[in-house]
Amino acid sequence: MGKKKRGHPDIEEILSRAWCYYCERDFEDLKLLISHQKAKHFKCDRCGRRLNTAGGLSVHMNQVHKESLTTVENALPNRQGLEVEIFGMEGIPEDVVQQHNQRIIQTFYQQQAERFAATGNPPPGERGKEGPAKKIKVESADELKKRLAEHRARTAAQKAAGGSATHTPTQGLPDGHSPAQNGSPGAFNSPFAPPGGQFPGYPQQPVPGYTPPPQYPQAYPPSSLPARPGSNLAAPPGLPARPGQHGWQGNASTIDELVSGAPQPEGDEIDALIRMAENRIKPPKKPDTPATAQPAAEEAAPDKKSKKEKDKNVKMIYEDELSPEERMAMMPRYAFAPQAVA
Amino acid sequence: MAPATQYELSQPPNDAVSSLVFAPDSPSRLLVSSWDKNVYLYDTTSSGGGGDENSTGEDQHGTLVRTFEHRAPVMDVCFGASDDEAFTAGMDWQVLRIDLNSGEQSVVSKHSAPVRRVVYSRQHSLLISASWDSTLHVHNPTNASLAPLTIPLPGKPHALAASPSKVIVAMTSRLVHIYDLATLSAALTSPSASDPPQPWQQRESSLKFLTRAVAAMPSDAGYATSSIEGRVAVEWFDASAESQARKYAFKCHRQAQQTASEDGATDVVYPVNALAFHPAYGTFASGGGDATVALWDAAAKRRMKVYQKFPDSVAALAFSADGKCLAIAVCPGFETGMEDYSGEGRTKILIRELGESEALPKGTAPKGKGK
Repeated sequence: MGKKKRGHPDIEEILSRAWCYYCERDFEDLKLLISHQKAKHFKCDRCGRRLNTAGGLSVHMNQVHKESLTTVENALPNRQGLEVEIFGMEGIPEDVVQQHNQRIIQTFYQQQAERFAATGNPPPGERGKEGPAKKIKVESADELKKRLAEHRARTAAQKAAGGSATHTPTQGLPDGHSPAQNGSPGAFNSPFAPPGGQFPGYPQQPVPGYTPPPQYPQAYPPSSLPARPGSNLAAPPGLPARPGQHGWQGNASTIDELVSGAPQPEGDEIDALIRMAENRIKPPKKPDTPATAQPAAEEAAPDKKSKKEKDKNVKMIYEDELSPEERMAMMPRYAFAPQAVA
Repeated sequence: MAPATQYELSQPPNDAVSSLVFAPDSPSRLLVSSWDKNVYLYDTTSSGGGGDENSTGEDQHGTLVRTFEHRAPVMDVCFGASDDEAFTAGMDWQVLRIDLNSGEQSVVSKHSAPVRRVVYSRQHSLLISASWDSTLHVHNPTNASLAPLTIPLPGKPHALAASPSKVIVAMTSRLVHIYDLATLSAALTSPSASDPPQPWQQRESSLKFLTRAVAAMPSDAGYATSSIEGRVAVEWFDASAESQARKYAFKCHRQAQQTASEDGATDVVYPVNALAFHPAYGTFASGGGDATVALWDAAAKRRMKVYQKFPDSVAALAFSADGKCLAIAVCPGFETGMEDYSGEGRTKILIRELGESEALPKGTAPKGKGK
């Protein structure tokens, strides 16, 4: 974990970085920011002289080149104005600072979420609050039995419904994953909901196709991203019950290692549950986590879809098999009838 | 208010501009073809202070030297063997030769559909016209005795550009043919060959959408193409695997538009209407429907500069022969679904005087113009 943390700066570190009002880029320190501003935004395009501020450049343009500066170069469309006097981090209007911080916080939590989702690691520091990561909670035999009865009822109902209803999610046992991952359902519980609920409007952006902003190129190696689809998302509803419950088997064997002397499971999750009840061992998953993890995963799924749509969200100003000129040539205004002249 | 080094020509065309071109010898002689059926000849420097860097006063707005009326919209214009000769491509299916001094017009060639583009190669004294009748016509205007050559094309041509030794034709269905000018010249002088000359190279465009513009590198190394889908590709003539591996394409002239709906930003993609290579440096300019012009370094694959937004879509671009000026034709862009279009009153010709190192690739000394 410690190493990871070094790779991914925490939110305070990111928020304290120097950033440029004109292009929203952030920098290691103020010196770099100032030299960036001089090179990108306050450089005279006539003689290449680098001024300290936009105002300075304006005066320079006026006096040296007898020209008037109207906009700041290379700036975002709404930040081109000369009205704001910016030097480094000084002079940035308060609302812009707020906006910037919000954006940073949002991307931070988003990326953190993606990272946890991609790696399956629990969010550091969230463990205690959000669920039993590795701590084993003892469930009483009665509780277990009750749960077993519930499960049986559900399975029966599912069978009655032709096996088309959701199945495993109630059990909360994602397939093919290590107990460690199972132990961190919190990763999907959105423990990283933005603090104070300040940003409810921001859609959670899922991983595929997402390019991290240039300022964190190393922090989020894209190679880790494709792992996401395989992570413990809930199986899509409507599938027949998984035969054999492979995932559970995997877990069971691990548990069996913990529980010395326990007989090898037969591949039946119910048997495994019973065995655990007998041994007074709780499965590495709290009974209620699946219920909460499920909606979170469901939330993520449509988001992912919308992201894909967003990637395709392209509006072409001109889209045709014919060239604009051919279209224009068809208009009476420009049309030419050779027979009329000849 | 635009900076003073960028000025607007007085008396702009009355309707959309189809093309503009600087004279090969004089850096201030500019021809503009327009949908208003006229070709305009401008002197971009009114006081004759040509290339003098220090004479960039605010009162220079160029002068309209002359207009040449056609009977139909003019789709393209190019200079001929001298600064006094021009050829035009007309909606009226004709290629005209214009004597810019006397205003005399003569028909050089007749196609069976509107003529889209014309290019003239000084090195080979060849005039090549591309028409929507899916043919190229090849003439040698200096030798009228030679029968013109007609080359059938597999598709409608949309863009045409000539490098010192090649001519590139971009057509519908993403077809690109490259002809060798020397071969064309030879075929023209020896009409014995019954078959029309074959293209030197046949390629498929690297861009997935309709080709909008082609520009050839003055260094004769390759060319750039652009499409209606905000993208530019740079390719090399050399067919060797190493050279072909160097080709690339990139997105440009797009704008992220924040939509009200929750699905976030929409990428608004504009056509890249115009491309022009700088005559000396390996850089080129692209002009798009997003009303911006960007300067690119073809070798370093870098964007060097984006100019402030213009009032309307950029229709055409041209560098002056000395590389000191960039002419930008601005008029409303034709968009999908437009029932009515008019560039009237909104058409402008802007001349941008480039700073000493403005179009220079980074890391090159400003004096290294012999490159």
